[in-house]
Amino acid sequence: MGDSSGGPASILIIDDEETILDGCRQALEKSGYTVITSSDGHEGVGLARVLKPDLAFIDLKMPGSSGMDIIDMLSREMPDMVLIVITGYASIVSAVEAMKKGAYDYLPKPFTPDQIRAVTKRGLEHRSLKKEAERLREEKERMERSFITFVSHEMRSPLVTVMQYFETLKAIAGSELSDASRDIIERCEKRLQALHDLIEHWLDLSRIQDGSFSKAQAPLVVTDVVEKSIEELSPLCQRREISLEYTPRQDAPRILGDAESLTRVFSNIIGNSTKHTPQGGKISVGIDFDEFYVYVRISDTGEGIPEDKLPFIFEPFFRVKGKEERQRGSGLGLTFVKKIMDAHMGKIEVTSKLGEGTTFVLTFPRLYEL
Amino acid sequence: MESKKKILLIDDDKDFLMATKLILEKGGYEVFLAEDGKSGLEMARKVSPDLAIIDMMMETWSEGFNVVSRLRTSETGKQIPLIMLSAVDLQGPYQSFEPPENLPTVDLVQHKPIKADELLGHISTLLKKQ
Repeated sequence: MGDSSGGPASILIIDDEETILDGCRQALEKSGYTVITSSDGHEGVGLARVLKPDLAFIDLKMPGSSGMDIIDMLSREMPDMVLIVITGYASIVSAVEAMKKGAYDYLPKPFTPDQIRAVTKRGLEHRSLKKEAERLREEKERMERSFITFVSHEMRSPLVTVMQYFETLKAIAGSELSDASRDIIERCEKRLQALHDLIEHWLDLSRIQDGSFSKAQAPLVVTDVVEKSIEELSPLCQRREISLEYTPRQDAPRILGDAESLTRVFSNIIGNSTKHTPQGGKISVGIDFDEFYVYVRISDTGEGIPEDKLPFIFEPFFRVKGKEERQRGSGLGLTFVKKIMDAHMGKIEVTSKLGEGTTFVLTFPRLYEL
Repeated sequence: MESKKKILLIDDDKDFLMATKLILEKGGYEVFLAEDGKSGLEMARKVSPDLAIIDMMMETWSEGFNVVSRLRTSETGKQIPLIMLSAVDLQGPYQSFEPPENLPTVDLVQHKPIKADELLGHISTLLKKQ
């Protein structure tokens, strides 16, 4: 009695031998199950559709109908129903074939009342475990979704409002503020911005995990996306006096991707470079391709990443210690990048030399076009 | 002297209203506040603002859009510039947000928090176009 609705589990038996039907009915009713029987394949399928039993025994060999076809049909139509094959001769081959078509177990004739009860019990247990797992999975997904909504609204809104207050404070009291007060406000703003970025990155990661990123993929030329990132980052590079070199490549073949998330991938890596490249340094961005792949190469002349830290840079919250506090990121940027690359069937490789610089190479599969 | 231009600000976050109001007043505008879509629309009828700033997500995910489309079809709101505020990056795939079909047109979308000088700059440009 593994039915979650509380009542006794219902069992359907389809077999052309009346003696088998009677024997099964007696054995199972004794254990408290509700038993329905049918000696005809077509009638049995009709009963299954109407009564939706928890478990069904189906004889493989019946005159006028194929047990195999019934199993095939029922497992498609009612995936929740546990199907068990009764085989007249303990033929492993036909049992295996039936299980491939969706049967859970098989019962070779002749069998004792204890045997059919044991197989039934196991089948129903399997069913309730399956249903429980399904329920838990749905519950988990529901919680994850509502948590994302919670974070995005309940955490972001107050943060944004506080940031707005600081902005207002500077706007209305700008000239009256002492240097010390202004410095404090700026420090607060920096920490708030970091918290804001952390929430944004965390949300980005959650969105990749629920699959909404990969849905938006369309054919695109990577050059256009790279140029958008460069446009975004060049004011920052100018401010930090870092030269941003870019060799356009208009003949690059198309790839399948999500322009929005890829823009963030490139901006993230170039942004990282600006944090770790000293004044007067250089960041170069190049695009290349061959028969199979399109490559985006981003190199800087920055401080580099120690060799023993390289394997960890894509891990969440891992940071290579920077010299200055301002270099602290959310610790999720490269994790985001890696996930986006995975969603694009792409690859990201990094090489670095301390004191000389770091190079990221992002590889995308070319869109196959005739 | 020319009378002050009127700006209507609709947002369900009182503190955000206050912070933004101070910036707008600093910019020399007369500011009217509303904390939800319904009172925002009433206020619009009453004061006939020269420009309105509306938060996209108030009680519901689409309340801001409803306000915008109601304003756009009203006598007072037909002509004036509308700025929509959003805490969410609408460009990105935001899983639990489905923008309504036939998005009503706004003149500008700004992400929160807003830089004071940027906001005032945009407003003065939009008002000059009128």
